[in-house]
Amino acid sequence: MATAASGAPKRARSPRLEFVGGQILAFVGAALFAGFVGGVIIVLYGENPLFVYATVLNYATARPEDIAQVAENATPLIFSGLAVAVAFKAGMFNIGVEGQYIVGMLTAAIAALYLDWLPGALLVPAVVVASVLGAVMWAAIPAVLKVKTGAHEVVTTIMMNGIAISLVAWAILNPLKSTGDQSVDLRTNLFPGKALMPSIAEPLGLPSSVHLTLLFPVALLACLFVWFFLYRTRLGYEVRAVGSSSGSAEAGGVSIGAAQIKVFLISGALAGFVGLNHLIGDKGYLGNNYEVGLGFAGIAVAFLGRNHPAGIALSALLIGVLIRGEDGIALSTELPTEVLIILQGVLILSVVVAYELVRRAVARRQLKEEAAVEAAAPATEH
Amino acid sequence: MTASEATTSAAPEPRAPLVVLEAVTKRFPGIVANDSVDLNLEAGEIHALIGENGAGKSTLMRVLYGMYPLDGGRILVKDREVRVSSPRVAISLGIGMVHQHFVLVDRFTVTENIILGAEGGPVLDASAAEHRIAELAESYGFAVDPHRRVEDLSVGQQQRVEILKALYRGVDLLILDEPTAVLTPSEARELFDNLRRLRDDGKTIVFISHKLDEVLEVAERITVLRRGRVVGATRPQETSKNKLAEMMVGRPVLFQLDKPKVQVGEPVLEVQDLRLGTHLNGVTLEVKAGEILGIAGVEGNGQRELAESLIGLRTPDSGRFSIAGADVTGRSVGQLRKLGVGFIPEDRHHRGLVLDMTLWENSCLGRQSQTEFSGRWGILAIRKIKDLATRLIKTFDIRARGITVPAATLSGGNQQKLILARELEDEPILLIAHQPTRGLDVGAIESVWGQLLVQKGQGRAVLLISAELDEIYELSDRIVTMYEGRISGEYPPDTPPEEIGVGMTGGRAGAAADAAAGATVKER
Repeated sequence: MATAASGAPKRARSPRLEFVGGQILAFVGAALFAGFVGGVIIVLYGENPLFVYATVLNYATARPEDIAQVAENATPLIFSGLAVAVAFKAGMFNIGVEGQYIVGMLTAAIAALYLDWLPGALLVPAVVVASVLGAVMWAAIPAVLKVKTGAHEVVTTIMMNGIAISLVAWAILNPLKSTGDQSVDLRTNLFPGKALMPSIAEPLGLPSSVHLTLLFPVALLACLFVWFFLYRTRLGYEVRAVGSSSGSAEAGGVSIGAAQIKVFLISGALAGFVGLNHLIGDKGYLGNNYEVGLGFAGIAVAFLGRNHPAGIALSALLIGVLIRGEDGIALSTELPTEVLIILQGVLILSVVVAYELVRRAVARRQLKEEAAVEAAAPATEH
Repeated sequence: MTASEATTSAAPEPRAPLVVLEAVTKRFPGIVANDSVDLNLEAGEIHALIGENGAGKSTLMRVLYGMYPLDGGRILVKDREVRVSSPRVAISLGIGMVHQHFVLVDRFTVTENIILGAEGGPVLDASAAEHRIAELAESYGFAVDPHRRVEDLSVGQQQRVEILKALYRGVDLLILDEPTAVLTPSEARELFDNLRRLRDDGKTIVFISHKLDEVLEVAERITVLRRGRVVGATRPQETSKNKLAEMMVGRPVLFQLDKPKVQVGEPVLEVQDLRLGTHLNGVTLEVKAGEILGIAGVEGNGQRELAESLIGLRTPDSGRFSIAGADVTGRSVGQLRKLGVGFIPEDRHHRGLVLDMTLWENSCLGRQSQTEFSGRWGILAIRKIKDLATRLIKTFDIRARGITVPAATLSGGNQQKLILARELEDEPILLIAHQPTRGLDVGAIESVWGQLLVQKGQGRAVLLISAELDEIYELSDRIVTMYEGRISGEYPPDTPPEEIGVGMTGGRAGAAADAAAGATVKER
């Protein structure tokens, strides 16, 4: 006690550094543990885990194109992870990122098909805005229901997801059904080329076959934006206060309902970016085979990234590596690619446990040091 | 079992030790809550365990009751070493405990609550149980109807149910954790009578408290804890209030604060017939500049609803209140704060601080909308907020490792100082202080009280709501009592506590209050 007290002023590490260090330590520890469990499974399949992991890493990072592919995989996950995290910071669970981006794709498709008279420089932003508006509209309904009637957002957003899927199915079967060609696929007409997201592959000196679009840097900017919003704006401050202690926030003059609605709309806006990579970065039409599950994947990404924008970017990239690695595994080994999905699951579970362990250890340390500080300071009553 | 050990209450001859704690040590992360504590409980005594908050009284008793595992030392019951691994084991050893917060099922009857967990088989024999409960209640003078639902009982009656619960299980040793914290003075007196009766029947009672007057009144032996250690053991006839306080705190304590004489000014807060659901039934009061109005009353008589209405957390159904002459009924928390209302909540964790956030982030909660801290565009002025936090730490002597630690890591006293500092720094014209010293140790209480008196000295209005009569007496210039959502009386500060106790039970003779909990209350 005495030594801790006398040493405290000198030795005092920044609590923040301690916190970040602990998080990184937890993640690395969890990753090693997940790798070990995955290794056991791989051994049971009669393969060499080291070879499998090397293959994954090789496919993900060997050539610049591979890294670009990882970034491309990560792009929608960054957006959906951010969307989940922002709502989570206000103490809300946005399960509806899924439905929100699906509706966003629909409104984006409408814009791409019907605003084709706009010049290219305006059409792409218009499509993006349409997607964001669609998703925000879809998020607004559960947000208002929650604040006005108390309907829990988990329940309502799940229902909104179901409605979103049916809505898109109806739209591509009826008003937006492709005309002209004899395509068996159920889909809209092809979008005009000027509605597609510009690729950044060639400016970066990559082969034009690589699908890396402007959306990836936008995703990184979105991380910065979310960080700034949460930690540097008054609304972000209020949102975090509501999320951690709604009673104290309320007594501090924060309108809980208003903060929750605003943040849910921001969450929906971020969700509006999730489907764009698929829609105007890759396919160029909205078909019934559109990519699903990105919203749910966002929950895992937000979780792995501890709801912090930097953590979300990193964990989205990690998942991007694993997705890319699936190709390698399919080509070079006899393993089912599901092994990597198991690996993801184990990783998430071990990360949860590891973060909790580290959190407790850090809290214990901090309590101890606070106690030392209190004991050391002389009583100077007023 | 009990009867064989009962001694006559007349002779204070050395009695057989019922429970002996030897060098009991209990550690929590960062602190030693009990440091090699020796305690010896004799059969048929009332033993007071006193100390400041955080001295380790409750922890020690929870160890004995099997709620916390032992980190060192041993426990002997009737000369046999025992391992108390759970409350269930404790009860089988004849040790029972009544917690500060009752653990009763509101919708169950008294009987159902008492036999819960001790049903004695898969088929309930309710009538036999009722019979036994009635017998127990009668022999110790506990007036409780076994058929009433717990939700219909007063707090004092609920406490009796808790005690009966322990007696029903045949305990010889009954631990009461701060039993008078929720009682009016007259209810407390009744409790003491009941405890004496139990003692005369051979039961041993451990009485945890930090109220010295009542300890001196009811206990036969007193053990004082400070920072987890036993610092003294004495008897009421050998000591005094001041001596006990000095033992508890480790230095002489002043019990009389100097109330500064201040010229009382214009009314700052005027409340007119405020009503809210069943909680507030027409509250009318007035606080002037330069005075502290103390609202005394047993918890749960509408104090929380009143405080929360006045800061805008609740909207009253009818009635009005005005601040500095302007009607502000129905304004939001933000608007009221802007007008200069400061708020010290009774629950600092759920109404005061955001524990996960840093000390500096907490230092501007409630003022985040001021342009000084978030500019015109809603972007936080981090530098200025951190300067504010540094200033608060310095002027209010908040002891922390820095301003970037989470508020959760501060001690209760420092958390409260942080709230006080934050609310006072903005120089409110009206301060609503609801149980401002709950759970604080004597040193911190002195500091909070001093700050409230400074506020008054500077000509501000202070509304003090407290269930601690001591606190009301120390600070108030005028005292009103609150009962069932009404102001039930107004008194000058030199009124004897018994009279105020009458107001706390609705303005009638206090003892009759329990007997007719459902009866209507006379309007003031």
